[in-house]
Amino acid sequence: MKKYLYIIVVLLMYSCEDVIDVDLNTIEPKLVVDASLNWFKNTTGNDQEIKLTLTAPYFDNEIPPATGAQVTVSNTGDDLFVFTEESNTGIYKNNTFVPQINETYNLEIIYQSEIYNATETLKSVVDIDFVEQNDEGGFSGDETELKAFYTDPADEENYYFFEFLNDIPEVPSLEIYDDQFTNGNQIFGFFTEEELETGDLVTIRNYGVSERFYEFMFILLQQNSTDGGGPFQTQPATVRGNCINTSNPDNFPLGYFRVSEATELIYTVQ
Amino acid sequence: MISFNKSILISFLLIFNCALAQDKFTLSGTITDAGSNETLIGVNVIFPDLQTGTNTNEYGFYSISLPEGTYKMQISYLGYSIMTETLTFSEDKTINYKLIESTESLNEIIIEQDIERLNIKKPQMSVNKLSINTIKQIPVVLGEVDIIKSITLLPGVTNAGEGSSGFNVRGGAADQNLILLDEAIIFNSSHLFGFFSVFNPDAIKDIKLYKGGIPAKYGGRVSSVLDIYQKDGNSNEFHMNGGIGIVSSRLLVEGPIKKEKGSFLVAGRSSYAHLFLPLFDLDNVAYFYDLNAKLSYRLNAKNSVFLSGYFGRDVFNISDSFENTYGNTVVNFRWNHLFSDKLFSNMSAIYSDYYYGLNLNFVGFDWNSGIQNFNFKYDFKHYLTNDLKLEYGLNSIYYKFNPGDIEPSDESSGINSFKLTNKYAFENAIYIDAEHIVSDKLALSYGFRVSSFLRLGQDELNVYENDNPLNFNDELQIYEKANPIGSESFDRSNVIKSFLNFEPRFSLAYQLNEKSSIKASYNRMTQYLHLLSNTTSPTPLDIWTPSGKYAKPQLLDQVAIGYFRTFKDNLYSLEVESFYKKIQNRIDYIDGADLIANNAIEQVILNGRARAYGLEVLFRKNEGKFKGWLAYTLSKSEQQTPGRNTTETGINDGEWYNTAFDRTHDISITASYKLNNKWTFGSNFLFQTGRPVTFPNGQYEFNGINIPNYESRNSSRLPTYHRLDLSATYNPSPDSTKEWKGEWVFGIYNMYNRRNAASINFGQNRMTGQNEATRLAIFGIIPSVTYNFKF
Repeated sequence: MKKYLYIIVVLLMYSCEDVIDVDLNTIEPKLVVDASLNWFKNTTGNDQEIKLTLTAPYFDNEIPPATGAQVTVSNTGDDLFVFTEESNTGIYKNNTFVPQINETYNLEIIYQSEIYNATETLKSVVDIDFVEQNDEGGFSGDETELKAFYTDPADEENYYFFEFLNDIPEVPSLEIYDDQFTNGNQIFGFFTEEELETGDLVTIRNYGVSERFYEFMFILLQQNSTDGGGPFQTQPATVRGNCINTSNPDNFPLGYFRVSEATELIYTVQ
Repeated sequence: MISFNKSILISFLLIFNCALAQDKFTLSGTITDAGSNETLIGVNVIFPDLQTGTNTNEYGFYSISLPEGTYKMQISYLGYSIMTETLTFSEDKTINYKLIESTESLNEIIIEQDIERLNIKKPQMSVNKLSINTIKQIPVVLGEVDIIKSITLLPGVTNAGEGSSGFNVRGGAADQNLILLDEAIIFNSSHLFGFFSVFNPDAIKDIKLYKGGIPAKYGGRVSSVLDIYQKDGNSNEFHMNGGIGIVSSRLLVEGPIKKEKGSFLVAGRSSYAHLFLPLFDLDNVAYFYDLNAKLSYRLNAKNSVFLSGYFGRDVFNISDSFENTYGNTVVNFRWNHLFSDKLFSNMSAIYSDYYYGLNLNFVGFDWNSGIQNFNFKYDFKHYLTNDLKLEYGLNSIYYKFNPGDIEPSDESSGINSFKLTNKYAFENAIYIDAEHIVSDKLALSYGFRVSSFLRLGQDELNVYENDNPLNFNDELQIYEKANPIGSESFDRSNVIKSFLNFEPRFSLAYQLNEKSSIKASYNRMTQYLHLLSNTTSPTPLDIWTPSGKYAKPQLLDQVAIGYFRTFKDNLYSLEVESFYKKIQNRIDYIDGADLIANNAIEQVILNGRARAYGLEVLFRKNEGKFKGWLAYTLSKSEQQTPGRNTTETGINDGEWYNTAFDRTHDISITASYKLNNKWTFGSNFLFQTGRPVTFPNGQYEFNGINIPNYESRNSSRLPTYHRLDLSATYNPSPDSTKEWKGEWVFGIYNMYNRRNAASINFGQNRMTGQNEATRLAIFGIIPSVTYNFKF
C-alpha cells in the first residue's frame, strides 16, 4: 500500500530527477542462485533450467556466469534430477523433472568445493479468468492499464507472483500479491504502460509461491524500483533468500530456489 | 500508586513552605500590548537597585515579592519601548501594564545589561526562543513563512531534507519531538509531505524550543519540546491582516467581544487548489488549508477563559484514481485562575485528533486511520519567594488508536472489509519543579515527573509461544514472523500492561562574572508512543502505536553543559553547549518490514538503543541595523539493535550505525539588514554534511531483473548540502497614518541554484535495462513574491 504513496510523491517530484555518476564500493563476488522451476498448466513440466551467476560491480553491464557447478534437485521420494550445464553459460538444464503440487524439493549445488542447499515446496495457482483493459489514462494521463483477474481460493492462504512481459520495456514488470484483504474474491494483477498500442502482445504469467518467497520478493522489488526513493524510502539491506552455504555459512549465496505451478495468458492490446 | 505520588508532592511542598514567612509585599499583574491588549510572554520586570526581577509566564502573568521601600522598576521586552516607573511598597499590589510597541525608528533603545544578566543567571539552558517577527524576516522557499523551517536554522536542529516532514533535534527522530499548540499535542506538523508546516504564522504569538534541560512540566517525548502559543486576539479594536503569496493566501480577523475583556481571533490559510498542475500535465488537485480560531475572555482580575481550535487538512486527488485526505483537529478549553497573587494556575481540557484517509478507486477500497486523545492538564506556578518558584501539576491523557480499517469502495470491488484492532491507553503524570536562586552566583532548577502508562484492554491481542513474536532463523540468518498460537480479548477497563517511570530533572547556572556563566543540566524522559516508520522521514500514513507487551517505552538520559557570555552590553552574545544523550528501547524494524496495514507490528520490531552527542555554538548580534546569528553544530547520532541472544545477528549485524539524522557538521548563518524605513534585507546560508545513506556494493540478476546488493546500513553519505537564500521586504509608505498598511516580500530561495540531492536512488532503467543512479533534487532556484496587509 505504501507503494501508492510513493506513486504520488514521485509524481510531485518527477521533474527534479536526473541521472548522475556515483562512486561505489564493490564486494567480493558471491554465488547467485536463480532457480525457478515452473510447471505451466497443461504441460509435463519435465524441461527445467537453473541459472547460476556471480555478483558484479553495480554499474557493470556484464553479469558473469558461475560455471562448472554440480546442480541436483531431489524430491521426498528420493528421485534425483541432475542439471547439466550448457557449455560454460552458467545455465544448467534437466528434462526429466517430475512436478507435483505440494511436493517438497531440495536443491543442492556444489560450486568451487562449497556445498549450497535450499528447500522449497511446489505451490499451486489458479487460472487467469480474464483481462480488463482501461484506456482512461491512469495516473499520468496517457497510460494503458491491464487488470488480469483471478479468483482466490477462500480456504487457504495464497501468495501470487505475476510477470508481465512485452517488447517495449527491457525489464519485465513483476508484481507480488497476498490474499490478506482479498481472500476468496475475484481480484487482479495490475500492469500499466504508457507506450502500449493496439495489437501489442502482453504475456501475463501468474505463479503460485510460498510465503517466504513473497517476503523475499517484496523486499527485492522495493529495493530495485527506480521510483520510490526520496525521504519515504525504506532502509535497504542485503536480502537473504532460502539458499544456504553449508560448508562456509559466512559466504552465503544470494537469490532463491522457487518451485511453482504457473499459468500463462497472452493478451492482445485492444 | 496515586496516593504515593500525592504524598511525595505534599512533602515537597511542605519543605518549601517553611521558608516563606517574611516581611515582603507582592507585586503581581498582567502585561499586555497597549495596542491589541494581547498578553506578552517573557517580559522582563526588573528592579535594578535590588538586582532582582522576574518575567511574565505563558499567559502574561508576573509576580514578585519585595521588601518595604521605594524602588525604580523597569519593564522591557524585545520590540517594545522600555517602561520605567518608581514604586513604593507598603502593601501587596496588583498592577497591569501595557507596553507600547517601539516605532520603527532607527534610534533603537539599547537594552540595559541587567536584563541579559538575568538570562545568563537562569538555570534553564538548551532553549531557543524565536519571536514571530524574527521568523517572518527569514527568507523561505516560495515565500511561505514557516516555523518548522525557521527552527532548523538553530544549532542542534536539522531536518531530513527538502520535502521531508518534521525536524530532528540533537540527533533525535522526528517522532521524539513534543509539539504543543496552545498546550495541545500536534501529531503531524507538516502539510504536503513536509513542504510547509501546519502553523499559520499570523496566528502565532510565541515559540520556544527546548532541546535539553527540559522542565518537568513537559513529558511524553524524549527529544525536544516545541511550545507554541497562539495569539489571543485584539480586545481593543477590530483588525484584519493577511497575505497573498504564490502558494497560499492568509487572512486573520480579530477584535473585541467586549472591550478590554474579551476578544476573538479567526485565521484561515489555504493553498491554491491546483498547486502542482502547472508543473505536470496531470489532472490533479493538491492543496491544504488550515483554520485557527480563539475566544478569550477575562472574567475578572482572577479568572480568564480561553477556547481555541485548530483544524487543518491536506487533500490530494489524482485523476480520480487516488484521493488522500489527512490532518489535525484540536479543540481546547483553558481556564486561568489566580488563587492568590503568588499562585497562578491554568487548567486545560483538550481534545485532539489526527486523521488519515485514503481512497484508491483503481484498486477499489477506502482506508481510514487515526489517533484521538483527550488531554487534561492542571498546572500551577507558585511564586513562593523571589528566590524560589515552584511549578507543579498533573496531566492525564486518554488515547484511542485506530491503526486502520479497509472498506471496499463499491460492490464490484474485490477487497474484503477489514479492521485493524483498535488500541487504547491512558497516560498520567504528576510533576514538580523548583527554580531556586541559592546565592548571587548559583541558581538551580530541580524537580521530577512521575509518569505512568496503562495499556488498556483491546480485542484480539496475539499470543505467541514463549511470548516471542519474532523468531530468528539460524540457518538463513534472518528474522521471521512467529505465528500466533492464539489471541486474547480484554475488556476496555482491564490493564494489559502498565509502566511507571520516575523522571528526575536538574539544571544549574553558575555565574562567573557580570557577563558570563556556565550551566549544566540532566534530564530523564519517557516516551510511551512510537511512530511506526521505517523510512528516512515520517510519512502522513505512518501510524502511532502505544507501548505495551512487546514495545517498551523509550527512556532518555541527557546531560548538557554550556558556557554563556554577552559582549558589549549584550550587543553580542555567545552560547556554547555540549550534550550527550542515550535512549533505551528505540524500536527498529527487521529488514523489509511492511508496516502498512500490519495488525501484528510486534512480529517485525526489535528493541534497540540510540545515542547522540555533540557541540553547539550560537553567536548572535542582537541589536542594530544589522542583526543575525551564526549557528554551528558538530555532532554524531547513532543507533544499535543487537540480537536478543548470541546466536542472533540483530539489525545491521548488531553494529552501531549512523541514524538518518546524523550530520557531522551543520552551519547556518542568518542575517538581516535594515537599510532604511522602506527596505529590509534578509539572508541565510546553510552548509551541512550529507545525510547518511545506504548504497549498493554490487548487483546480481534474478528473474530477469537486476537487483542491487546493499552495503551495511547508512555507511555512505549524500553529497554536502548547501544553499543561500535572500529576501527583501519593501514597505512603500512606512510613515503613512492610513489604516491600511501593506508590504511586499520578495525572496529568492537557493540563490546559486545548487542541485542538492534529497536522495540518490538506484534502479534499473525500464527501457534500456541499464542500472542507474538517480538524484532527486527538489528545489532549484525559486523566486517568490508575497504581499502582506493589515488594517
